[in-house]
Amino acid sequence: MKYIAKEIPENVNVSKINPLKEFFILLGGLFGILLLIYFSLGYAFDRLIAKMPDQLEAFFSKTFEQTYAVREAPTAEEKRLQDILDQLQAVEQTGLRPCRVHVVKEPTVNAVAIPGGNILVFSGLLKEVKSENELSMILAHELGHFAHHDHLRALGRGAILAFCSVLLFGADSSLTDFLMNALMTTDLKHSRRQEIDADAFALDLLNQRYGHVGGAADFFERLEQKEKMPHFFAFFSTHPHHKDRLVLLRQRIKEKHYELKETAGLNLAVAGSGQ
Amino acid sequence: METVLQTFTFILTIGIAYALGTIIEQDHYVNIQKREKDFLSLPAVSSKSIEQDNLLDGQLVYGSVVISHDYFKRFLASLRNLTGGRITAYESLLDRARREAILRMKEQARLLGADMVVNMRFATSSVGDEAWTLGCFELLAYGTAVRLKIKPT
Repeated sequence: MKYIAKEIPENVNVSKINPLKEFFILLGGLFGILLLIYFSLGYAFDRLIAKMPDQLEAFFSKTFEQTYAVREAPTAEEKRLQDILDQLQAVEQTGLRPCRVHVVKEPTVNAVAIPGGNILVFSGLLKEVKSENELSMILAHELGHFAHHDHLRALGRGAILAFCSVLLFGADSSLTDFLMNALMTTDLKHSRRQEIDADAFALDLLNQRYGHVGGAADFFERLEQKEKMPHFFAFFSTHPHHKDRLVLLRQRIKEKHYELKETAGLNLAVAGSGQ
Repeated sequence: METVLQTFTFILTIGIAYALGTIIEQDHYVNIQKREKDFLSLPAVSSKSIEQDNLLDGQLVYGSVVISHDYFKRFLASLRNLTGGRITAYESLLDRARREAILRMKEQARLLGADMVVNMRFATSSVGDEAWTLGCFELLAYGTAVRLKIKPT
């Protein structure tokens, strides 16, 4: 055997594909599949949500109550808020089961509807509110979310996202933890449509309760003026599109010929924080 | 905010790993090709038999490399794990390891004044226990370096 030294012209052991290209194809495909699962399950969930049994909702509510450390005994402030809410709910047309108000001692200017008929009002918001009608509008808005099952919808999407993550990366992967953490803060976000619908619901309820809609837009107007201030960010993050909403709110007041009358003062029965 | 930060860190790490990994790999390939050309006169074959009349002496030679994947390749491989198929990200890594191991073996053979390496084999073993956190392995090329009465070239 005669040996002739020669080079091998081509490397057959390494694929010609650019790793960066493969990276984007695989990542894109993965996200594509995830989105598909997310939206199809989300759609199915939306269809089923109205039929969700109360026990299941009660289970969710327990988890949330633990997260937000909801106290059992209401404070004087909470009793006052509860009164306002009860009077709103006393209006026949809501068709909702009784809801409870909880005050969370945080400077955030926000209110959220969480499963189990609980409305969380952050103390930052109470400082900003000037009249009972304004507060009623906010509470009625949250009732609107309950009436349209928005709180469960948001939760459902979150659960589906978590499910996808667990499916792909396992329950104890850091990526799942990461997603779950992100969920606890963002899953209460509602879509623009949902916010507008809840506003409409709130406006009608306010009119039924007081016979006029005075104060309905006051809170939004004040937010708009103070928009640059940092502690309002939280409110916008879960209640976006406020400018649109203000326009639509005024439009609805006109269309329905709702009257704007004098607003009632707010006494929260707590020294220093009431009006 | 935390989410944004985590995502940013991830993208940054992947990006740096890819950039550095690509530069290192290209440099290594240039180096490998140059040395392979240099060692063309010292062939390594897998054949076991050699004409006894032609043989002066023989001795074991080996070359070994330990390699690890980078963050980018590891992530790419984990993505590929979901669908299955060729993990192309590791192909160049292993190709470089094999060729580097042969070159080191030949270097040893040249130091002994050998004319060629016969009965060349590869062996591999993983080093470190957790493939995910510290995935690295050794690639060993070994054979018998022989001196011949009649030179192969």
